[in-house]
Amino acid sequence: MKCPLCGREAVSDLCAFHLEAGDKVKAAYPLWVKAYGGMKWEDYLDNVKRNVQTGQWAKEIAEFLQGV
Amino acid sequence: MGYTLVICEKPDAARRISDALCFGTPESSLVEGTTVYRFKRGEEEFVVCSAQGHVYGISDPLEERSVYPVFDVEWYSSDLVDEKSASITRRISAIRKLAAGASKFVNACDFDVEGETIGFNLLRYACGGREETALRAKFSTLTQEDLLKAFDGLETQAGQGLARAGRARHAIDFVWGVNLSRALSQSALNSGHRYRTVSVGRVQGPTLGFLERREREIRQFVPVPYWKVAGLFKKDGKSITAAYSKEKVETKALAEEVRRDCLGHEAVATAIRKSVVQVGPPVPFNIGDLQKEAYRAFGYTPSRTLQVAERLYLGALISYPRTGSQRLPPSINYAAIMRGIQKVPEYSADAAELLKGELKPVQGPKSDAAHPAIHPTGEVPRRALDVAESAILDLVVRRYLATFGPSARREIVDVSLAVQGHEFKAGGGRTVFMGWMKYYGRYAGYRDVELPSAAEGDKFLTAEVLAEEKFEQRPSRYNQSSLLEKMEREEIGTKATRAEIIATLVSRGYVGGEGMEVTDLGLAVVETMARYAPSVVGTGLTRDIEAKLEGVEGGSEGEATLLRETVRTLASQLAELNLNEEAVGRDIDSAQMKTVARSFFLGGCPVCRKGELRVIRSRTTKKRFVGCSNYQSGCRASAPLPQRGTIRTTTKACERCSWPIIYVLGSGRPWRLCVNPSCPGKRKP
Repeated sequence: MKCPLCGREAVSDLCAFHLEAGDKVKAAYPLWVKAYGGMKWEDYLDNVKRNVQTGQWAKEIAEFLQGV
Repeated sequence: MGYTLVICEKPDAARRISDALCFGTPESSLVEGTTVYRFKRGEEEFVVCSAQGHVYGISDPLEERSVYPVFDVEWYSSDLVDEKSASITRRISAIRKLAAGASKFVNACDFDVEGETIGFNLLRYACGGREETALRAKFSTLTQEDLLKAFDGLETQAGQGLARAGRARHAIDFVWGVNLSRALSQSALNSGHRYRTVSVGRVQGPTLGFLERREREIRQFVPVPYWKVAGLFKKDGKSITAAYSKEKVETKALAEEVRRDCLGHEAVATAIRKSVVQVGPPVPFNIGDLQKEAYRAFGYTPSRTLQVAERLYLGALISYPRTGSQRLPPSINYAAIMRGIQKVPEYSADAAELLKGELKPVQGPKSDAAHPAIHPTGEVPRRALDVAESAILDLVVRRYLATFGPSARREIVDVSLAVQGHEFKAGGGRTVFMGWMKYYGRYAGYRDVELPSAAEGDKFLTAEVLAEEKFEQRPSRYNQSSLLEKMEREEIGTKATRAEIIATLVSRGYVGGEGMEVTDLGLAVVETMARYAPSVVGTGLTRDIEAKLEGVEGGSEGEATLLRETVRTLASQLAELNLNEEAVGRDIDSAQMKTVARSFFLGGCPVCRKGELRVIRSRTTKKRFVGCSNYQSGCRASAPLPQRGTIRTTTKACERCSWPIIYVLGSGRPWRLCVNPSCPGKRKP
């Protein structure tokens, strides 16, 4: 099976790189919630996606998670 | 009795050596179309000829680029390896002819691994096995003084170890590179698309591995917000900007609380710390230091700096540049060089000042048995220098002057301010004694940040407190200079080859864009290697081979044993790649297609907002320009492009007009350009 985001060989539903990026996106969420004193998951993903510092794979996974 | 045949590495060196040894202009003639110099020194007749860099190279006797593995390799004259090198045939033929009449041979190639290998091969193959009996001329500059000294003290068997190591390195690197590159290129070709060289060298693989690991970190990076709090404090019309003592405030609530607490309240200077620190002069340049400094000062890539430095060496203006040494021995004659520099008006006053005192340079920790650190020779250029040559020569001269200068002194001031239980800090510094910085000029790079005078207990008004939302920065990409530094730190490659390896990564399309951004092809090569041949992209094996090559140089390791060991390791990695050829080919081919396609796309079209702007080459004029992929549907967005230099995409859009920004690499400093010819940012005021 191929990763729907990049076409690499998928480990489960995504490739190893996007899975790792997904873990990082999930791990940063509590830090954002604490930083702003609260934030919805959807808003968080939107912010991550729009941030210029966010890496390409992290942006792709944020968009993917928005659709899940 | 025959003549003494002197073999040099390059034609320019042959001319310089001849001029120096005969104290004038030697008789020159053409042998097989190559220039040869003849003169007498006392009763001894000299004939000086030259190679043209490596005129012998390792090759595969089968010459079938689709066949691998290839482990039986041989040394061939380079014209047979590269059919275009007709001049190499002439050179070898000339040296062979001249060798027949010679009774004594002198190897006067550059004294390092490459030079020794060039000389060794010519003496062995073109001069009929004279490599053991030839004499060695060792010099670090092409000045008359150094050359006369070298030829008065010719040595025997001086560089045999270097030659053995050089030949072993060439053989290992060839076997390594040709097999892995053929395995990857063939796999991709068998996947159905056209042939394109996909190379992985012994040092290139781990270097690409560094870039890939960094690229992965960047692409997976998720920023976390924080707040930076700073205050503006005023007293008697003077102001101090100070940062909150906690550099990163983790929550918005806390940042706002600090702001509320402090604004409008009185701040008290609780501690003023003044200290004077000594800043020692920089150590003399080795090649890596020069390449890094030239990148910092002029934006020159390491390979460009090396090329320019070699031209300056051949012009006898600087010493041999491919050196690892950061030390200047007294034998180079500090004062004579300084007096030479003094003749140039620009440096005259500085050199005169230094000549008044004792000349004792600061020395660095690294040494090189073959050559001292890079230094100017003190000779005045005999021809006009181009911009890059002038820049590098100025840097080398200024660095030389600076190494003799006294330590500089900087006054550092730290001020702490307390407001409502919160602490703010400000820092400043200024140079109170220039010392060596005066001689190093604009390259010294220290900036003065003055703070208004304050005493403990002074009271300030907190005029403003700003809490600025920030995000953690993703790791920065390597640039050519920091990558070179990483290679040095990891001890892979040699001072002579690192710059070339970096340039190959760019030319192969493994990195692109403004920085060293790894392309899909670069990522695929590392991923494939990491899966099927992991030691190819790890540093362990390469470093181990480097250490063993040093052993070959010192005589503790055998060339043949090392080559056998390498072949054994490589064979197992190749077998694994071969077993998975289909999967390897699919991954590499698909990444190649993506990389090629991406290199033409500059970004989204700001006019129709549907298509993408891409680089197109006109069929009629052959010129390149920018056009929209949505042309068929009516979008006429287009723009001219510079016709010279390499264009790289940046994935960045212009802040003024939203058209893509490109990066242009030409003969000068690389530059950024908004492709929109009507960009408001380009209009003259």
